[in-house]
Amino acid sequence: MAGYKPVAIQTYPILGEKITQDTLYWNNYKTPVQIKEFGAVSKVDFSPQPPYNYAVTASSRIHIYGRYSQEPIKTFSRFKDTAYCATFRQDGRLLVAGSEDGGVQLFDISGRAPLRQFEGHTKAVHTVDFTADKYHVVSGADDYTVKLWDIPNSKEILTFKEHSDYVRCGCASKLNPDLFITGSYDHTVKMFDARTNESVLSVEHGQPVESVLLFPSGGLLVSAGGRYVKVWDMLKGGQLLVSLKNHHKTVTCLCLSSSGQRLLSGSLDRKVKVYSTASYKVVHSFDYAASILSLALAHEDETIVVGMTNGILSVKHRKSEAKKESLPRRRRPAYRTFIKGKNYMKQRDDILINRPTKKHLELYDRDLKHFRISKALDRVLEPTCAIKTPEITVSIIKELNRRGVLANALAGRDEKEISRVLNFLIRNLSQPRFAPVLINAAEIIIDIYLPVIGQSPVVDKKFLLLQGLVEKEIDYQRELLETLGMMDMLFATMRGKEGTSVLEHTSDGFPENKKIES
Amino acid sequence: MAAGGGGSGDPLAPAGVPCAFSPHSQAYFALASTDGHLRVWETASNRLHQEYVPSAHLSGTCTCLAWAPARLQAKESPQRKKRKSEAVGMSNQTDLLALGTAVGSILLYSTVKGELHSKLISGGHDNRVNCIQWHQDSGCLYSCSDDKHIVEWNVQTCKVKCKWKGDNSSVSSLCISPDGKMLLSAGRTIKLWVLETKEVYRHFTGHATPVSSLMFTTIRPPNESQPFDGITGLYFLSGAVHDRLLNVWQVRSENKEKSAVMSFTVTDEPVYIDLTLSENKEEPVKLAVVCRDGQVHLFEHILNGYCKKPLTSNCTIQIATPGKGKKSTPKPIPILAAGFCSDKMSLLLVYGSWFQPTIERVALNSREPHMCLVRDISNCWAPKVETAITKVRTPVINSEAKVLVPGIPGHHAAIKPAPPQTEQVESKRKSGGNEVSIEERLGAMDIDTHKKGKDDLQTNSFPVLLTQGLESNDFEMLNKVLQTRNLNLIKKTVLRMPLHTVIPLLQELTKRLQGHPNSAVLMVQWLKCVLTVHASYLSTLPDLVPQLGTLYQLMESRVKTFQKLSHLHGKLILLITQVTASEKTKETTSPGQQAKLVYEEVLDGALQTPKGCTQCSGIVLPLGNLAGTISTQGMGTRDDAPEGKGHRGRPAAGVFRARGSALDTPRGQKRGDVRTKGCWEV
Repeated sequence: MAGYKPVAIQTYPILGEKITQDTLYWNNYKTPVQIKEFGAVSKVDFSPQPPYNYAVTASSRIHIYGRYSQEPIKTFSRFKDTAYCATFRQDGRLLVAGSEDGGVQLFDISGRAPLRQFEGHTKAVHTVDFTADKYHVVSGADDYTVKLWDIPNSKEILTFKEHSDYVRCGCASKLNPDLFITGSYDHTVKMFDARTNESVLSVEHGQPVESVLLFPSGGLLVSAGGRYVKVWDMLKGGQLLVSLKNHHKTVTCLCLSSSGQRLLSGSLDRKVKVYSTASYKVVHSFDYAASILSLALAHEDETIVVGMTNGILSVKHRKSEAKKESLPRRRRPAYRTFIKGKNYMKQRDDILINRPTKKHLELYDRDLKHFRISKALDRVLEPTCAIKTPEITVSIIKELNRRGVLANALAGRDEKEISRVLNFLIRNLSQPRFAPVLINAAEIIIDIYLPVIGQSPVVDKKFLLLQGLVEKEIDYQRELLETLGMMDMLFATMRGKEGTSVLEHTSDGFPENKKIES
Repeated sequence: MAAGGGGSGDPLAPAGVPCAFSPHSQAYFALASTDGHLRVWETASNRLHQEYVPSAHLSGTCTCLAWAPARLQAKESPQRKKRKSEAVGMSNQTDLLALGTAVGSILLYSTVKGELHSKLISGGHDNRVNCIQWHQDSGCLYSCSDDKHIVEWNVQTCKVKCKWKGDNSSVSSLCISPDGKMLLSAGRTIKLWVLETKEVYRHFTGHATPVSSLMFTTIRPPNESQPFDGITGLYFLSGAVHDRLLNVWQVRSENKEKSAVMSFTVTDEPVYIDLTLSENKEEPVKLAVVCRDGQVHLFEHILNGYCKKPLTSNCTIQIATPGKGKKSTPKPIPILAAGFCSDKMSLLLVYGSWFQPTIERVALNSREPHMCLVRDISNCWAPKVETAITKVRTPVINSEAKVLVPGIPGHHAAIKPAPPQTEQVESKRKSGGNEVSIEERLGAMDIDTHKKGKDDLQTNSFPVLLTQGLESNDFEMLNKVLQTRNLNLIKKTVLRMPLHTVIPLLQELTKRLQGHPNSAVLMVQWLKCVLTVHASYLSTLPDLVPQLGTLYQLMESRVKTFQKLSHLHGKLILLITQVTASEKTKETTSPGQQAKLVYEEVLDGALQTPKGCTQCSGIVLPLGNLAGTISTQGMGTRDDAPEGKGHRGRPAAGVFRARGSALDTPRGQKRGDVRTKGCWEV
């Protein structure tokens, strides 16, 4: 005796967006926490040391936030004017920041008043950074100069006057204590060496440079300015490797994921794009509510922090995977239970009778098995199933049709039930993957209920809707047929040019089959 | 781009736009918007009263404005005021409006004359004017500036009376004491000056950022036992840029206490503050603070000494659009300014956009902690301005002058030239003919005109937007472009789009063709247009077939159901016509019994028509009649009782299910019966 065969549910590929490893990874963040700052958030920087606090520079204040706190755990507000570019030292204990009035201030994380004040710039200092040896600070200002400061005796060591416009971004090499790069509004990115008193390399970006970034290895340099993000090979003397133009407004900030595999760029067009550093293709993109000015990723990409022009700081935390584990698990039978008796060796005259394996059947399958066809149909027309998984509903309808009992299942319904069926038809009839089955069902319904049409205004309205939909679909298909004609023409010109090799590609196979037959 | 629209690039400039209600009766509301126009609105009728564009409105934008204090004798009627304004005198000042500009000049504008009264320049400021205050009775004007100085002006002579250094950094705010003998000034710290000697009387700590507003809140000291010297014991209020606290200070007899007495907390930076003065000890001070986020916070507090904790507001007022339907969610409308009416019980709210604000009077109900008013301002955008303008003046521009317009060249911003009728007004006043036509003015702008010659580009197509959308794959932007119904627009856009975007556009269309026919129909228009316009380009592509293969397959699979669908459509049309016909017949037959008779006659006729007759009425009517005779209870509940009984019990239901229940054999019958058929399982 053969058992009941469950209905095969036809699955269809989801159309549209492809799911890649990257989309899974970058979508795995919680809903963002939004924190209102006093002004546009110009810089976000994570401490390189645990507990990975981050410093947020907005208006005349620097707030330091912890991993989970939504209130600042510390505030530096002793600025006379707008502060810029608060950056942590590699050990996470010192913080340096520039200011609109041209000062550079150095803070201890535990203190409040500045430890050192470097006076010497005459205009706003927009970029500061620590060098790799931790004892020097590099700063770039709107007075076109780049200066190197000594922390212990708070003296100016060197001044570079090579830029011819505002210096707005820069960073120091992580490996060599003497190397650092700066980007300027004069469209150039320059690499300076503290040992030579002048720039050792200069590349032309083509737009005012808003942000620069060095790869951890120091070999590649990324610059952002205008709508472009450009990658340069430093070891080949500043050769342009890639030029990316994926934003439609100025790119303002750059950031590397902690693995170094992905590059992130934020822009005034309110998007953050994620590039693969192998192929330099956009693999993911985030949307934000306002133009983005600053962007930072925490250790292990645990947190994405984005600062915007409207003073809102958006903080996204990664969903923790451990949470699922912590749920109380249902106790499963021990391993022993499963192998019990499985290792029994058959003796010579034994006849082995396997215990019949219990098949799990879905509820609609159980109904079908017992020939409760109306009930099975009712079950799959429940809103939970019909909206979430319409393919199951369609498969059941198809199965009923195959058995020849679709008419019976659809018959004998009252106003409420029939309108539920009609609703499902209205929602799904236009989908090409369901259309053949549902058109059939619709015809059967009309046949059955024709005599009683006009008794219920609700059902009549549904039929009207259905008719409108079908009319639109027919119009649409007529348009499509016309377009198909056009495309056939186009393909025909191709065929004339390239011979038969093209024909294999056209899977429709309609015109060429005829040709072969003839 | 920034939320406040504060205009200048200076981050410490106060948010919002300079605006003020006229004193006492609040009949007018003056607003200097970021485009340099000064507009005066009538608060009662919400109409534009006057509009004035200073000649240097782009280089020296208006940074602050202040109404001259109104005098009682001049407030009688506007007619009389006009006559009086001819004669130069004290009453002339009543409608003056002082405007401070970013370059340091101060303009006095007369609302009666509708033109510039005088300019205060000589010996004044050489940097941005931050605040202007009129003296209550002496006809003096005080102004402060980024150049660190405070200047006292004589308005009659337009000369500087006195100029002194007010602070080490820029002076951002001023306020004159109620008795008119003292002056408060503030940069970051607040100073109280004696006006006669120009000496500092008191210091106060102030704020971390520039103080944007200063106001006296009381005019009498809290305890009247001591003799009152005009200033001691008074409270005043200060708000600062980027600061969510409003501090209240008290002027004390000893000079020790410098910190704030108490503070009010609001949700965002204050943009506009109005208060009612408390005249005696028992009367609370009412305070309305408009924040940058567009909310109004109302405070009511009796000022008496210290309060450590910041006070929160008694009432918050918000305005939002009505959310119509499911799709449009209510959006907040920013409140721009709020002023107490003279009865202290209602509030004038100014909300909407800076260019066309709506002014409304709202009664205060202090019991509710939160008020959200729902207003629809979408229809306020109708261009009724043209009719409402009484006097519009445009600057006179020489033909050799080059007008630079804000905006990126190439990115044609919608620049609205001044309406043509203004020139008639102008010509009435000045017969001098160095007037420049709009065409010449456009020519002077840095816009390449030959591009503009082919009728206005920027509105008729958006290839730039489409290209940007395709490059950045911005869903919303593409929606905006692709969901247009205008065929002409589609054609123009496709014609102008760069060639390299053709294939990405086709791929985007492929994605969108799969959807609901409602939206997909629009995409077909695009597809057709691309195929017709770029046919020659497409045919040169070597990999055309692999590029368009999916699209072709997709369309073909969809078209496959065409025949069946048409079939179904035919059935449905028949059905629908029956329904409508039956409804019609019901309507006609309803009055009286005679109609029924007539109806049956028609029925007979219809039945006798030959079968081949394709007229609807012939087939429809019998069915309609059938449906009409069946009682509507036929659509009742489906009964789960064994079928035979049910049918006999309810004839009406029987008709309803006549066909269905007969077919529905497995349901009612025993399971065994079904099994005997043996057609179910293998």
